[in-house]
Amino acid sequence: MIDLGVPMSQIILAAEQTVYMVFVSLFLGTILAIIMSVVLVLTNDDGILKNKYVYTVLNTVINIIRSIPFIILMVFILPLTKMIVGTRIGTTAALVPLVIFIAPYLTRLFENSILEVSKGIVEAAQSMGASYFEIVWYFLLPEAKSSLILSITTGTIGLIGATAMAGVIGAGGVGDLALTYGYERLNTPLMFFTVVILVIFVQIIQSIGNHFAYKTRNH
Amino acid sequence: MIQFKDVSKTFKSKGVTTQALQHVSLTIDDGDMFGVIGFSGAGKSTLLRMVNGLEMPTEGHVEINGQDLSKISHNEMRKLRKSIGMVFQQFNLLDSRTVFDNVAIPLRLNKADKDKMHKKVMELLEYVNLADKADAYPGQLSGGQKQRVGIARALATDPSILLCDEATSALDPETTESILQLLERIHKELNITMLIVTHEIQVIQRLCNRVAVMEHGKVVERGSVLEVFSNPQQDMTKKFVRTVIPDQIPPSVVAKIHEEKDNYKILKLRFLGDNATDHLMYHINKTFSVQTNILFASVNELQKTILGIFILQIIGNDAEIAKVIQYIDEQQVQWQEVDL
Repeated sequence: MIDLGVPMSQIILAAEQTVYMVFVSLFLGTILAIIMSVVLVLTNDDGILKNKYVYTVLNTVINIIRSIPFIILMVFILPLTKMIVGTRIGTTAALVPLVIFIAPYLTRLFENSILEVSKGIVEAAQSMGASYFEIVWYFLLPEAKSSLILSITTGTIGLIGATAMAGVIGAGGVGDLALTYGYERLNTPLMFFTVVILVIFVQIIQSIGNHFAYKTRNH
Repeated sequence: MIQFKDVSKTFKSKGVTTQALQHVSLTIDDGDMFGVIGFSGAGKSTLLRMVNGLEMPTEGHVEINGQDLSKISHNEMRKLRKSIGMVFQQFNLLDSRTVFDNVAIPLRLNKADKDKMHKKVMELLEYVNLADKADAYPGQLSGGQKQRVGIARALATDPSILLCDEATSALDPETTESILQLLERIHKELNITMLIVTHEIQVIQRLCNRVAVMEHGKVVERGSVLEVFSNPQQDMTKKFVRTVIPDQIPPSVVAKIHEEKDNYKILKLRFLGDNATDHLMYHINKTFSVQTNILFASVNELQKTILGIFILQIIGNDAEIAKVIQYIDEQQVQWQEVDL
């Protein structure tokens, strides 16, 4: 086997850190994004709970966060990170900026997915006497499901990219490994190896996403 | 009973106001098959959507069994909606759910117990003749089958009112016919009050006992289908009715009449029910010294009643023609003179 210049255990640890950061922040981000996107869809101009103020405030906040590059966002919210997880550095500390980064991104993707559901579905739901919660739970989300799965897939891949930058606050991960050991020590084989790992990650995630989206859509 | 009391509706969007309904008053009795016909944009869908509160009047009131819809809470409105079924032009089925689950949704919202729900859904699918499609997805069905699912879904909560919003407008003529038969059967067997909105006069002709004709947000004509179809007053109504019950002389016949040198009058006669047409014609020809030509004739069935329309050319002198008209009046047959 080629010598990568770092022990295998370190590579495995980096992979674990990446997986940990991606999936925990994806999980939390998805929950937040579902809530925010539903609020956006319900309160927009054509929404069944039309509310200009709620919509404008939420919409603006999302736009502001989305315009900040992740690496700046990460250092910018360090005090908040410290408040929430008790430390500014390490893998867990990276979760806070990652969630704050991915939630608005997913919100936008989810918003589009939910808006794709035909208005007639909402009307049918209303005509059956469904409550607002039931409209979302039994009609909007199930109908948007396959599109939502693809949005989550896209979001996951975006997150993998973001975790590479989390090395700045000592979060570790595959991207950080590539930067510190591969790039800074001019270790080309390691660079190449990490890139391959990342490519495989992304491929697997995209395939899984496509598979499930296809399965839910293709009746 | 559904009552619209002086209902107006104005939509405002981006500074533009549209008057969708203007001072509409209508009463729909229990057990009615009430049709509302008009071109798109006439406000008929807005009217329909007020019955289950999807749309609220800007002015006036909508009452169901005496209950003013603008005075009830959101929860009471939801409860009311559960007793009103709605069928849509675009079906509005959930593509991600099976036929069974689509029909089951209203029951699920009512927290019905599983066994009862299964029994009810299968009964409904049996009723609309789709029991074998229970596990299919809407994407695998034809338009007519989708609408059957939509109808089964609308009936799931045993509603007392069924609203049909252009239920057959997205379907081909043959499928339309099968859906109309289904609606007719539902009305007969389940005795549901139906409000049917359509731009297709055949639908009204086939199903309804009463009709309102709408134009630019106003009801321009209303009455029993028999009355309105046999004697339409408004130009709009005439236009609609003419497509199913023609009452005009073909152009080639008109050209021929223009060559006629003798004195004549053209009368359009309408026979309803058991007005004996043959008897009348026989008598005119035998008793009066006139010559009669039938220029046009049509016989239609409306609400189990025969409607006959005859256009007669009566050739003779004025005195004799006047006698004929007097005779027709005595027979209580509706007539009007036709100018060419």
